[in-house]
Amino acid sequence: MKIPFSWLKAYVPLTSTPEQIAADLVRLGHEVEGVELPRAGVKGVRVGLILSKRPHPDADKLSLLQLDIGEAEPLAIVCGASNMGEGDKVPVATIGTSLPNGLKIKKGKIRGETSCGMCCSETELGLAEDASGLLILPADAPVGMEVGEFLALEEAVFDLSITPNRGDCMNARGLARDLAADAGLPFTDVVQADVVTSADVVAPVVAVAAGEDCPVYLARRIDGVKVTDSPAWMQAALLMAGMRPVNGIVDVLNYLMLTMGQPMHAFDADCLAGDVSVRTANDGEPFAALDGRNLSLRAGDLVVSDANGVLALAGIMGSLPSGVTDQTVNIMLESAFFRPARISETRRSYAMVSEASMRFERGVDPLMVAVAMNQATAMICDLYGGVAGAVTACGDAAAVNAGVEVHCRISRIESRLGITIPPATDEVLARMGFGISRQDDQLHVVVPPFRHDISIPEDLSEEYARVIGFDAIPAILPPLAATMPVQKSRFIHDAVAGGFLQVVSYAFISADEQRLFVADDGMDIALANPISDAMSVMRRSAWPGLLNVARHNLNRQQPGVALVEQGRTYARSDRGHDENSVLAWLVTGEMEQDEWYGTARSADFFDLKGAVEAWLSVRGLSGRFVADDAIQGLQAGQSAKILVGRSEVGRIGRVDADIAARFDIDAPVFVAEMALDLLPAAKPAKFAPLPEFPGVERDLVFLFERGCSSDAILDAVRSAAGKLLTEARIFDLYDGKGVPDGKVSLGIRFVLQDGSRTLTQEDSDAASTAIIAAMQKRFDAPLR
Amino acid sequence: MMSEIDALKVQLESLQSEALAAFAAAENPAALQQLRVHYLGKKGALTEVLKGVGRLPPEARPVIGQYVNDTKAVLAGALERGEAELAVRAKAIRIQAERIDITLPGRKAAAGGLHPVQQGLDEMTEIFSQMGFAIAEGPEIEDEFHNFDALNIPPEHPARAMHDTFFIKDMLNEAGTEPMLLRTHTSPVQIRAMKRFLSESGEPPLAVVAPGRVYRCDYDVTHSPMFHQVEVFKVDRNVSMAHLKGVLRHFLSAYFEKDVGIRLRPHYFPFTEPSAEVDISCVFCASKGCRICKGSGWIEVLGSGMIHPNVLRAVGIDSSEFSGFAFGLGVERLVMLKQGIPDLRLFFENDVRFLRKMGGTR
Ligand SMILES: [Zn+2]
Repeated sequence: MKIPFSWLKAYVPLTSTPEQIAADLVRLGHEVEGVELPRAGVKGVRVGLILSKRPHPDADKLSLLQLDIGEAEPLAIVCGASNMGEGDKVPVATIGTSLPNGLKIKKGKIRGETSCGMCCSETELGLAEDASGLLILPADAPVGMEVGEFLALEEAVFDLSITPNRGDCMNARGLARDLAADAGLPFTDVVQADVVTSADVVAPVVAVAAGEDCPVYLARRIDGVKVTDSPAWMQAALLMAGMRPVNGIVDVLNYLMLTMGQPMHAFDADCLAGDVSVRTANDGEPFAALDGRNLSLRAGDLVVSDANGVLALAGIMGSLPSGVTDQTVNIMLESAFFRPARISETRRSYAMVSEASMRFERGVDPLMVAVAMNQATAMICDLYGGVAGAVTACGDAAAVNAGVEVHCRISRIESRLGITIPPATDEVLARMGFGISRQDDQLHVVVPPFRHDISIPEDLSEEYARVIGFDAIPAILPPLAATMPVQKSRFIHDAVAGGFLQVVSYAFISADEQRLFVADDGMDIALANPISDAMSVMRRSAWPGLLNVARHNLNRQQPGVALVEQGRTYARSDRGHDENSVLAWLVTGEMEQDEWYGTARSADFFDLKGAVEAWLSVRGLSGRFVADDAIQGLQAGQSAKILVGRSEVGRIGRVDADIAARFDIDAPVFVAEMALDLLPAAKPAKFAPLPEFPGVERDLVFLFERGCSSDAILDAVRSAAGKLLTEARIFDLYDGKGVPDGKVSLGIRFVLQDGSRTLTQEDSDAASTAIIAAMQKRFDAPLR
Repeated sequence: MMSEIDALKVQLESLQSEALAAFAAAENPAALQQLRVHYLGKKGALTEVLKGVGRLPPEARPVIGQYVNDTKAVLAGALERGEAELAVRAKAIRIQAERIDITLPGRKAAAGGLHPVQQGLDEMTEIFSQMGFAIAEGPEIEDEFHNFDALNIPPEHPARAMHDTFFIKDMLNEAGTEPMLLRTHTSPVQIRAMKRFLSESGEPPLAVVAPGRVYRCDYDVTHSPMFHQVEVFKVDRNVSMAHLKGVLRHFLSAYFEKDVGIRLRPHYFPFTEPSAEVDISCVFCASKGCRICKGSGWIEVLGSGMIHPNVLRAVGIDSSEFSGFAFGLGVERLVMLKQGIPDLRLFFENDVRFLRKMGGTR
């Protein structure tokens, strides 16, 4: 909302600078997003008196003017307008001036005649959207004066963001009242003299059947108006406040809404049929809204209607046919109070926003309903002629939101704020409209009807706080509770320690991406109002997100990436829905690059498996990797379930090449996912005494059939070697020259150790013999 | 007889000088070892000389014996010195040969790192955790009761419209009356944590920090549809706005690692009363005014206030006896300010160059 400084000054004799006023507004809780000087751009435009006017010898539509702009010599200007005559005063843009529309004034010749400037219209000064002819200034405009100064165009405009609880401040008057109360300055209301009414103009017949939704409804006809554009000053004012001029009547109503806070509506009275009623809509009742939409209303919507149908969604928007146009002669003016919750609900259900609804849903001042009606009537009759009839008034404005009282102990407010409240602040609140009395610790407050936001002592605490100023509240650390230090989960920290970069991707992905790794089982959670199809379904796997990040980076010359993400996945369940904590990894491309000490190496399954194993081992867990060819989206033969104990806690494998290609990745991509909620608690390491006697290490190399699982081989080694075995592992794998096709040579290294003695040759021979026999028997694998 | 002795003496002397010359000329320990064998070995030159001693008369033998021993000692000493010298030389040569270019880059260790948002979350929760706030979490798919109603935001409230809520398709709350939604703030954790806490402990005090992801249906240069918040609240007897200010100042100074000034401005949130927007003194220009703070010297960082009695009532806490403060931190915003990150979108683009630059590996 934009409020020009002069509008505030009309109510309060403010003398501070705009910056100081802005600071005061902020302190009082009215956010100032900026202080603008929108018309500062008309410097160099001065008041000129037309001394003479004669036709251009070579052009019918041009005139040659001689103007006095307060200089020694008159100015010669060639002008294309026709609405001016000798003796008129007009704005003259002098040589060198830059106008708001970007036009720079230069000396020039038009059809052979010299022109030393330009006479301006409202449009050229940025005062109106369009205008025919020059802006004719009032006769008392001092010749030579800057037009900006004369029209008060250089004033500051406050760009405000009023909080939803302060409907009373969505206008100049309310803000001025707050400022006046705060500064201790007098506040004077701006109201025109009484309205002259005529009995010849009939009072509208209005029936209000809306209960609490419409406690006050005023209507009046004004007949015989001549709707023209509103005067230049009003158009300029509306533009400064960020509103487009529409027509003379609408402009007056908008101007009063911005200054006095009361939204009003004008109907073309000749479009009304029969009596007016304020009622709830019938289900399915049609409504052609001013914004061009054709709505089908629902029972419960509050409408203003006549015999033919709905004229307006009350307080929100009028109908297109009943609106005031340039042709309108007779109008019916409406000023009312609508219940905020009703307006809010209806407005939201049709996704409609209007300046009027914004004010009604925050609550307007019930006592301004009639005042604004009279002010509007007076201004309309004044500006556009017409005769006003009597007001038809339904409801009692004085009863709306009246008699709200708050009683509490002042000490309660003080303890909430952490300060003492000097009695002098009561006076500030009194100037803001509160009826305040104190008796010892007891506080009695009568809330003014325009403060819809105040009903409990805590509300008052805020009023006191903003009046005293939040700066006055000291900063005190509360006594700190001695709580148990919380053990931070180290999941992600351990994962990045393994050389992975943590990424954070959106929790929603596309439905297509969801299907890559999860079958359509009806358990997806989709958004009703997604930003786009690409972000429409809550993810059930973190892999699509990781693939997108991999693509982004591989497209930017990264030779490889190692990524990890911790987050949630989401799916429907019997209980409604589940949010599962997962940790997900992705590696692709070069794990090591060409270096002076080595050559490049591409990521493979075992890079990732090693990372997962290390991550598990930090928590004292070891995982079993069980080959599983049926994991959706992973390549058969390079994918596995991960088991800890008996429970499946994760999956790992190579992303199907076609899926990788979808993400523009040619290189093999490996992913893993761990369900953190399913993981057993980390086991603290248990002490075991260090061995006192040396171990014996032996290597055996066997020729196995390709396809034997090393897990099975090592299991067999362990059970064959006996209880002295402390370690067995594959130390070599070879299937090159010298190894027959279909075979693979595996080197097995094992270590024997005894806690009570040094082992002998016989011990290791016995173990070797047993292992050799086992390999022969289980795998038909001879020693090599 | 004397001549025999003399001849032997001469022989020994020439042997000694020959050997010493040979020792001096030896270029490596192996050559020196050969010379040792040659002169001092069992079948060495000195032994040969000793064989001649047998031919001497017995009374002359001790004299020559003495000579031989002296020569032996001289040669053994020379050998030892020679060996030591050679060892020093050999080491110097080896060291020279083993010189490396220490300016070559080190072997790369795989460089991982935490996402800057994670670092921010960790730092923030750590600070509050040290101040005695317990960590809590809540669901991201929420019902309207926890996200709005219990926080004093009834359906017709204008503030609801400001929340740009994502709704879930075809999923209703337990009562089957309203659609589920993605939580628009971490404040519903207030309700859930207070309810859980009360069922366990009966009554306040309680102090909670709740980090998490939140969602708004808003996507442009300065808005992300998903971002992170940290909700902080405390309920006890006599909790005041001064305590709120104290905790805020302590936290903000700890997080920014400098003494930051704070300014509270009256604002409006349905779930707090009074409500305040919190500004910090601009960390970029020391409050002198710059582009980031739009010349004001202040930067808005979070919303805060005293918990509204309706919120306490929603969980069954007697607001005449207990009061509390609450605030919600925008994690990305604070991290941007602290690390000088200019664009919100960088967090979710996950460009590894950005992540490495910002990545704290801890
Ligand atoms: Zn600054």
